[in-house]
Amino acid sequence: MKKLVLAAVAALAFGTAVAAAPLKIGVAAEPYPPFTSPDASGNWVGWEVDFLGAICKQAALDCVITPTAWDGIIPALTSGQIDIIMSSMSITAERAKTIDFSDKYYNTPAMVMVAKDSTITPDAAGLTGKIVGVQVSTTHEAYTQKYFAPVAQEVKTYQTQDEANQDLAAGRLDAVMADSIALQAFLDSDAGKACCKSAGNVKSDPAILGAGVGFGVRKGDPVLAKLNDAIKAVRADGTYAAITAKYFPFDIYGE
Amino acid sequence: MTGLEALSAASALDLLAFSPPGWGAVLLAGLANSVVIALGAYALGFGIGIGGAFGKLYGGPILKDLLAVYTTIVRAVPELVLILILFYAFTGLLNEALLSWGYDRVQISPIITGIVVLGVVQGAYQTEVLRGGILAVPAGQIEAARAMGMPSVVVARRIILPLMTANALPGLANLWLNATKDTALLAVIGFSELTKATYQASATTKAFFVFYPAAMLLYLGISLTSTLLIGRIEKWARRGQRDVRG
Repeated sequence: MKKLVLAAVAALAFGTAVAAAPLKIGVAAEPYPPFTSPDASGNWVGWEVDFLGAICKQAALDCVITPTAWDGIIPALTSGQIDIIMSSMSITAERAKTIDFSDKYYNTPAMVMVAKDSTITPDAAGLTGKIVGVQVSTTHEAYTQKYFAPVAQEVKTYQTQDEANQDLAAGRLDAVMADSIALQAFLDSDAGKACCKSAGNVKSDPAILGAGVGFGVRKGDPVLAKLNDAIKAVRADGTYAAITAKYFPFDIYGE
Repeated sequence: MTGLEALSAASALDLLAFSPPGWGAVLLAGLANSVVIALGAYALGFGIGIGGAFGKLYGGPILKDLLAVYTTIVRAVPELVLILILFYAFTGLLNEALLSWGYDRVQISPIITGIVVLGVVQGAYQTEVLRGGILAVPAGQIEAARAMGMPSVVVARRIILPLMTANALPGLANLWLNATKDTALLAVIGFSELTKATYQASATTKAFFVFYPAAMLLYLGISLTSTLLIGRIEKWARRGQRDVRG
């Protein structure tokens, strides 16, 4: 009896240690529309969620979405809390020191968003003396630190992109820099239409902004090859285009 | 939609409805998670606390020192730091060890992490509260019990525990209320307890003024229910004792 209880406790605590465990897919536990956001029934929806469905079907993987704090998402992966990161994470050399990346599955330029009546331009000259908001530990923060921090009055970092957008709408920021699609989704919402506009895309710097967005896996994890094959397959059979058409009027794969 | 429009009563009720597109069910699921963690952590803490209190008072020198180190360190380090250590650093080390011994890696669920971390923290505080409760038991009662020839376990069960309960209850009640609110700290590891669920609902809908007051009322509900129950327990524990209120 005691052994049974122990086994039950162990199964509860280490539930996923059994062989046929589903893969835990870590997404940042916050709305990042139109890629990943929670809906009112507690499910995750968006382009990345649909894309993940196609990938897991293609590669015959059993996938479960696991909300994880963005600022701890790489430690969560390396410590084994999750198995794959799927959270619009850009592939960068810095991150590749710690984890392995799949091939990119989308790639979009970075944009600067400003208040409706602002005349700020998306370059160092335009942001001189301004307050710029970015999400912490993102490629956009790295870009802002390199190009805008020396001239800006202040660079404010936020745990989530959503909070940076809120602060721009509330007038506490002059500009926000982030992925163009994520910002466009905000600009298309009622709140975004009321406050803000795009100042244009920033000059590209692939060394910092990365080579697109990919899945993150632990170093040496054999699941990587399956993911890469699946990405190629859904690109080739038209599934990728069909999912994209649901959310965007253009291809987001990049060249 | 402006914040003011979101405040209008009709849309607020729609947002809090139990079926989608209302977020009521998400909030209540968060509340359930918070309550489960608080109960689990409190129960674990109580077990540690009883053992710790008796150990600190009647244990050998080594046990006493170990318990002193435990209560000192845990009460000195913020819960937030302990949560981050256990969730990221500890599981990382555990998995590296398991892999090097040839086992598969394990994943510790956020609920278990929450219960263990908050339980360890509760244990340190409850040790001190219960130790105070035991010390307040009149020495004559314990001497009398020993003089009757009761073995120590019987003294503890029949004399010390019933008498100390009344002394320790106010402190224990405080710790229970702390436990319910400390669950909000688990939001940092992305766990959907009430605070995180509220954040997700309000960040998605931008109706901050609907969801945060709703969460406040839910937390208040836990506190009021707890206070009611604790009052009854205290009355029961003090039965037969003279009321000193003038």
